[in-house]
Amino acid sequence: MTETARLDASRAVLPLFAGALFLLVVLPVGWLAVFAFSDHAGHFTLSNFRLLVTDPSFRDPLVTALALAVSVSVICSAVAAPMGYLVARTDMPFRRPVRLLVMASFVTPPFLGAIAWELLAAPNSGLLNQLYRAARGADPDVVLFDIYTFWGLAFAICCYTFPYVFVLVANALDRIPADLEDASSMLGGSAARTARKVTIPLALPALLAGALVAFLQTMTLFGSPAILALPAGFHVITTKIWSLFQYPPKPELAAAASLPLLLLTVVLLRAQAKILGRRGYTVVGGKSGEVRPVALGGWRWPAFAFCFAVLCLSVLLPYGALFNAAFSRIPSQPLTFSNFTFSHFQFVFQELSSTKLAIKNTFYLGMSAATCGTIFALVIASLTARAATLGTRALSFLATAPIAIPGITLGVGLFLAYTRGPVVLYGTLWILLLAYVTIELPAAYQQLQAAFRGISGELEEASRILGASRLGTLRRVTAPLLGPSLVATWCFIFVAVMRELSAAVILFTSETKVLSVLIFDLNESGDLAAISVLGLTMLVLTAVILVAANRIPGFTGGMKLGRRI
Amino acid sequence: MSSVILRNLTKRYGTQTALDDVTLEIEHGQLVCLLGPSGCGKTTALRLVAGFMSPTAGEISLGDRVVSSPSRTLSPEQRNVSMVFQGYALWPHMTVAQNVAYGLEVRRVDRATIAKKVAAILQTTHLDGVADRYPAELSGGQQQRVSLARALIVEPETLLLDEPLSNLDTGLREEMRFEMRRLHDAYRYTSIYVTHDQGEAMTTADRIAVMNAGRIEQFGSPEEVYEEPRSEFVARFLGGSNILRGKAIDATHLEFAGAPIECHGVPLAAGRDAAVSIRQHHIALSNGVSRPASPNAVQATVVRNVFLGSTRDYVVEAKGGSQLRIIAAPEQSFAPGTSVWVTLPREHCRALVS
Repeated sequence: MTETARLDASRAVLPLFAGALFLLVVLPVGWLAVFAFSDHAGHFTLSNFRLLVTDPSFRDPLVTALALAVSVSVICSAVAAPMGYLVARTDMPFRRPVRLLVMASFVTPPFLGAIAWELLAAPNSGLLNQLYRAARGADPDVVLFDIYTFWGLAFAICCYTFPYVFVLVANALDRIPADLEDASSMLGGSAARTARKVTIPLALPALLAGALVAFLQTMTLFGSPAILALPAGFHVITTKIWSLFQYPPKPELAAAASLPLLLLTVVLLRAQAKILGRRGYTVVGGKSGEVRPVALGGWRWPAFAFCFAVLCLSVLLPYGALFNAAFSRIPSQPLTFSNFTFSHFQFVFQELSSTKLAIKNTFYLGMSAATCGTIFALVIASLTARAATLGTRALSFLATAPIAIPGITLGVGLFLAYTRGPVVLYGTLWILLLAYVTIELPAAYQQLQAAFRGISGELEEASRILGASRLGTLRRVTAPLLGPSLVATWCFIFVAVMRELSAAVILFTSETKVLSVLIFDLNESGDLAAISVLGLTMLVLTAVILVAANRIPGFTGGMKLGRRI
Repeated sequence: MSSVILRNLTKRYGTQTALDDVTLEIEHGQLVCLLGPSGCGKTTALRLVAGFMSPTAGEISLGDRVVSSPSRTLSPEQRNVSMVFQGYALWPHMTVAQNVAYGLEVRRVDRATIAKKVAAILQTTHLDGVADRYPAELSGGQQQRVSLARALIVEPETLLLDEPLSNLDTGLREEMRFEMRRLHDAYRYTSIYVTHDQGEAMTTADRIAVMNAGRIEQFGSPEEVYEEPRSEFVARFLGGSNILRGKAIDATHLEFAGAPIECHGVPLAAGRDAAVSIRQHHIALSNGVSRPASPNAVQATVVRNVFLGSTRDYVVEAKGGSQLRIIAAPEQSFAPGTSVWVTLPREHCRALVS
């Protein structure tokens, strides 16, 4: 359907949603800009920015964050690119389990991973350090690993950032048609030469894009640095912004410090889109034969050992540590039969008063954000997927824009927008709902838009011409066909809400605490056993939802989506 | 009385003109084919009638209502038209019966009537046995019938068909042509049928509008457009035609390969460049020794001779280098390089509008 003028509800829907998106996106960012250029009394000033570049207590965190982000993206690329290649293109053993475990590290909230690494590699109580001392009979002050350092932090972030690079690279390699490689071997290229001259260059843009994503993730990450950098005595930009909300709050400075983060994100995302969008590189797999994996020969097992080592560090060891802490009477001691206990569970679920509230809040917020976000994304995608007018393009832009707003920046913006009249939402769950819907909208929208593209426009036109209105068609034809995608999107948002920390940590109050913030708080008070219990609970919930979402079959039992349709 | 009227209909995309000032009147109960190569504007015309887009200029009337004009376009659901789509567009999550019943449900017809009508139309379209199947469980031909049944059941004022047979394989396609005509004769809905297949148009249509480059080149009965093509495009597009080019000698003669060729049709202007069309199978071949009795004959050399079973497909080169394609009886064979006489019967030589 192109630019048909229509006299039905869609006329009203477009401005309505544009207005709602405006409130969600433009309002907080607008207030951010206003505050960044205001002094305490509300007069225009540039002094916030002057302070930002001249005062070492602001400049240093920015420099540290940049150094950290560069280190992380380099390490992640170096680790994840070979892994992606091994999994997608070679005959390495256990390729599927490796992929699955990478996904497990993908869904682990970074702050939980950081806490797990505290358990493993804190200088004194860390399990690895204890084991090392016990094995070597060394003095109690001998330290093998210290996670509370710049490199310790970089390492802990890498563990949960490398999957971004891995997924992009592996997907790109999956999509390269086998005949491109065949053409090279036909002309006499050896397997190694084919890889070097054809396969790897084709996957290079994905690697670059992955490195950029890793960089951005690190720049905007709050949880891991808050947990590992603060005890080490240094700040990154996000923790600095957060500290500006501690007493006495300095919202103007926080706003000014958030803006560079926003600009950097916008610039880097544009760069990423450009890299991935370059015409010559987009390999749209046509009819390509089965991929013939590269035979590694004697290197099969060493290759697997490499992948296994990476997964030990990012998944197996940390989860083991969390499990240990959750059931061991003293969390920093290895679990044995004699010190096995359920007391931490009892403490968390029965004695700790804030748990129930946090779980209740998280559930309410997860459900409502997932429902609102899915409906929102569905309507926007239905308007934009079939028509390219000025209005729908603007709508599409607004729905994707939050992707460029780091969680903590959005948190600051929403705080500024809703702590004063006319609508005061600070202190309610509503402000968290706004934050979650805004943060998750881009991904939900992109998912549903892709799903829409998978449904031929003729299916909708057939309904329109038989007399159904646009909304009637959405309800009776499109939504049922999108069913599985809708469920997946809903679950995706729910899981993402559960693990969101950086916006929540700015916006929560004691009555609106959520699970992630509770875990963060418990870390400050040093209660690692309780954290492990909550963390494991959260992971089990996530796993249950993800598995359930994957199991949901197509709608009616007999429905088969044949190729012909 | 005309049931569908396109008046000076124009559709532009930016600087591209998809449909250029098209005027067409379709009488009630007629089936009209829009026939032309891809990109000729036929699908654009159909989608304008459906209401999927608004015209840049001109207007469309259905019955006595103006449904499309640049200032106001009724949405598809307000037009009481229905459509058969090229890809069938059957909803994969509904059974055959549900697909077919949809239009009646939208119109809030009561359940009993729906059941009765669905049963009747499934019978007419030979689908009685598959009512509870899902589209993906049907063959291509059955899917096609479901798509037809779904469009017919709402008793549309106008039925639109967008290349409805192009997804079927050859044997089935030829069979379905007659089926389409049978169903049209049974229901007599005013229909617009878009196709690029000449045979399909000939079999199904009451009248054919041959389209090219956004315009209608000729509008007439299948016999008219075939026997009396008005333009070179129509002559070439409908069945194989040779175009003879040369200077007009007088109103009825053209100089071709050194011989005066007599023709009929549009009077020629003496001294001007002119074109005459003749069908491939209307040309006769004879050996190069004795001149044929007809004065409309030229000498030529055989370039190619392909045996096709029931016919032979020749290419010959006449004096001056013009090549002619000829479909001749298979019995007599002239090897490449042989000199032959080519007879162009006067009654089949049609002067074209230049």
